[in-house]
Amino acid sequence: MVNGYLPASLQQALEIRAKEKVIPYGGGTDLMLAADEKAVYLFLNKILEIKTITIDESYIRIGAACTFTQILESPLIPSILKAAIQVIAAPGIRNVGTVGGNICNASPKADSALIFFVTQAKLRLGSSKGERIIPIREFYLGRNKTVLAGDELLLEILMPQDGLNNYYYQKVGVRNALAIARVSFAALLDVQEGRIKHCSTAFGAISDVIICREDIDAMLIDKTLAEASALKAKYLTSYDKAINPIRGRVSAEYRKKVCLNLLGDFLASNGI
Amino acid sequence: MENTPIEFNLNGSQVASDAKANERLLDVLRGEFGLAGVKCGCKEGECGACSVILDGLLVNSCMVAVGSIQGSSVVTIEGYRQTERFNVLDRAYASVSAIQCGFCIPGMVLASECLLAKNAQPSKEQIRQGISGNLCRCTGYNAIVEAIDIAAREGKGLW
Repeated sequence: MVNGYLPASLQQALEIRAKEKVIPYGGGTDLMLAADEKAVYLFLNKILEIKTITIDESYIRIGAACTFTQILESPLIPSILKAAIQVIAAPGIRNVGTVGGNICNASPKADSALIFFVTQAKLRLGSSKGERIIPIREFYLGRNKTVLAGDELLLEILMPQDGLNNYYYQKVGVRNALAIARVSFAALLDVQEGRIKHCSTAFGAISDVIICREDIDAMLIDKTLAEASALKAKYLTSYDKAINPIRGRVSAEYRKKVCLNLLGDFLASNGI
Repeated sequence: MENTPIEFNLNGSQVASDAKANERLLDVLRGEFGLAGVKCGCKEGECGACSVILDGLLVNSCMVAVGSIQGSSVVTIEGYRQTERFNVLDRAYASVSAIQCGFCIPGMVLASECLLAKNAQPSKEQIRQGISGNLCRCTGYNAIVEAIDIAAREGKGLW
């Protein structure tokens, strides 16, 4: 074939990636939107080594070439990720679109990336020379810009397993299916013996990158729910100052208001 | 890159395409293989008119580069219409006049097939989710949902 390579193994794919100027192709559902007739694709959709979902003592390990449908149907995947993936587009897109493509396309609206941000997942990147693992929160440099090197591929997402049960997720779009998020928000709150052990929030679709503010969320750590309630106004004010959405299909004011409403609802739904 | 053709199974026959790997499956099916039942609506993955079944799953053929399907199997409405399941859907769609202009129907029928193959007795809500990627600008969907519900009942044992 011309204008494309279909490697049968990961090693082959990494060798081609190192030598040729190619565009890694997961499922194509973002790339084909702006189909470029000069593009040379490195098709990753038939490489079994990056199409599996496994679990080890620390992580749920999701191959970058896993499709959204595959993730939805896996018993190993936690509800917080399924909640975000089941509202991606429609079955025909979920059947081919991949989680690796969703991440590497580097849109702040990427529905799955938001969940990997809030859960502090890590990414395993590989090249023909070796591998490295980095936090997803360090992967993005800006809109459509990542730290992925020219000879690297995203191989796997490593998602922590613990503390994912009490989650909050909302995608605000204009319809149920085929919607691009206008604002998306995910949060985790782990309360043990009356005290907040972990609080993590992530805002998508409001800026060039997904926004997480660990420093503000830290305000609630080790607090009882009553203490957190007393801090609620201060917490919301901090976010009011920290969130500066950009204008897109909707106004910046609208986005900010929705973000704060969702944040408030997340706290209220936890009795804060 | 070697200039070898892209081989895949199309409606039950092995075929080889000389298309460039980055071409849309939609364009190859229509242009090279003359399968005009694969409709081109939006080329953005939004409308579902170009839906085909790829390795048993519904896909928008506008969003698939043909190089990615080497060794795969594709069924279009032209192939699917040879099946008994198609006949059941055909009768069901006709019985409630679920078709007006018809442009969305090849994709809608293939979406119906993929839904029923996964879930032979879907609820009305599940039917709506199954066809959520297929836009119809004529019917308002109610008749289509009704038709799929009828097909699920009439086609017992086929799915």
